Amino acid sequence: MAPPDDLVARAQAGDQTAFRDLYRQHVGRVYALCLRLTGNSGDAEERTQDVFVRLWDKLRTFRGESAFSSWLHRLVVNVVLNERRTTGRRERRVMPVEDPVTVGGAQHTAPLQVGLSIDLERAIAELPDGAREVFVLFDIEGYAHAEIAELVGIAEGTSKAQLFRARQLLREKLAG
Amino acid sequence: MNEDELLRAVGRLPRSIEPPRDLWPGIEPRLRRRRHWYWIPLAVAAMLALVVIARSIQTQPAWDVTMLAGRPLLGNTRLAASGRLRVGDWLQTDDSSRALIAIGHIGQVEVKPGTRLQLVAARRDDHRLALARGGIDATVDAVPRLFFVDTPAGTAIDLGCAYTLETDSLGNGRLHVTRGEVAFETGPRSSRVLLGAIIQTRPAIGPGIPYVEDAPGPLVRALVAFDFENGGARAARTILALGRAQDAMSLWHLLQRVDPTLRAMVYDRLAALVPPPPGVTRSRAIALDSRALEGYWTKIHGIHFRRMILRGVREIDPRTGTTRRHE
Repeated sequence: MAPPDDLVARAQAGDQTAFRDLYRQHVGRVYALCLRLTGNSGDAEERTQDVFVRLWDKLRTFRGESAFSSWLHRLVVNVVLNERRTTGRRERRVMPVEDPVTVGGAQHTAPLQVGLSIDLERAIAELPDGAREVFVLFDIEGYAHAEIAELVGIAEGTSKAQLFRARQLLREKLAG
Repeated sequence: MNEDELLRAVGRLPRSIEPPRDLWPGIEPRLRRRRHWYWIPLAVAAMLALVVIARSIQTQPAWDVTMLAGRPLLGNTRLAASGRLRVGDWLQTDDSSRALIAIGHIGQVEVKPGTRLQLVAARRDDHRLALARGGIDATVDAVPRLFFVDTPAGTAIDLGCAYTLETDSLGNGRLHVTRGEVAFETGPRSSRVLLGAIIQTRPAIGPGIPYVEDAPGPLVRALVAFDFENGGARAARTILALGRAQDAMSLWHLLQRVDPTLRAMVYDRLAALVPPPPGVTRSRAIALDSRALEGYWTKIHGIHFRRMILRGVREIDPRTGTTRRHE
């Protein structure tokens, strides 16, 4: 496979084969983020597809001022949060307990965490939307509260409160 | 579980999770569709641009030409029935052929036998032919100064009219106005030719003084001598002696072309034939003051048109433009 920079350049020029290779390289990271932000594998698949369609449209605007993966990461967050804002879907999505792989991924995919990881993934999925988004963005993806506030459209203090709430709920779920 | 244990567990979460199925088949068709839509506006814009260009090529720089007799030559092609005269094209008639050119949408030109002309410009504000030799009958229904015919002796400028223009390849020619008014200009020299009037042209000199079509032969000869044969003061005096009230148009032009020492004499004769309108003084007219000259021309122009239009209907006094009463 071509080097990532070359793939990006070719995809920017309209090379769909290069774009498919970019998809292969990044789909795992994109899907993981979508899954954790939405808490639902079906929605995560849809958002992942949306992200790559959006990426195809937006790719020309990528100027290489940051790493491509960082730029793509930001795009994923925007796509997922915009979708949630526009559809207004606020209801909790609870993963079926009897089907843990829908949280952790398909059986054929790697590296599926076992034990605590599966429980943690399931617990994250069961968090309320607002708390889950802040927890994923802050504790898993490393965003600052100011960035989260801007991305999600909440006050920075709300972001901190949601994080506190998320951690507390997770500790309670995992302790049980 | 305390917070540290939670964060350690979070740190062990995988950064990448493969989706349970290949999502690419759901992405690829949407890429095609989006690319397709992306190109549609561009394609439409390109098509529109092509149509506009094609229409402008079709309509602007070419005039319709119809064969009236014989086989006129359009460019290098014998005109069988009709064709398009494009900017830069030459149209040529031999002794037995004639053609009709549509001047865009403002009029037409009948091309007489033995004529060679070129379409120079076909813009909305500049319809222009170059008459290299031969003759044309032009009819124009448009505001003044849209139709021009360049000849070797100068340019005929339509002021809303119909006229016949003939010239040889050197510029010896004749312009006869049959409707409205035409200006003929060569550099700074200009003649205003009214309905029923004629001018002659000569190479390097340009237009002569216009005269009415029923002007006496001796008057015409004196004008030709003055304009083209260095007739000078003698010819000028003959013109003044022979000029009538209906020749005021000729004297108005003569005033501006005679030696300054003769202007007073010309003015006095003109004023005797057609009294100047209020506001036009002798001194200003002799000084060739443009407002005085224009004021005088307006009066001469009005009387002339009234006389020509009512010819055969009423007898018009050529001094005043009023109807003559017979006691």
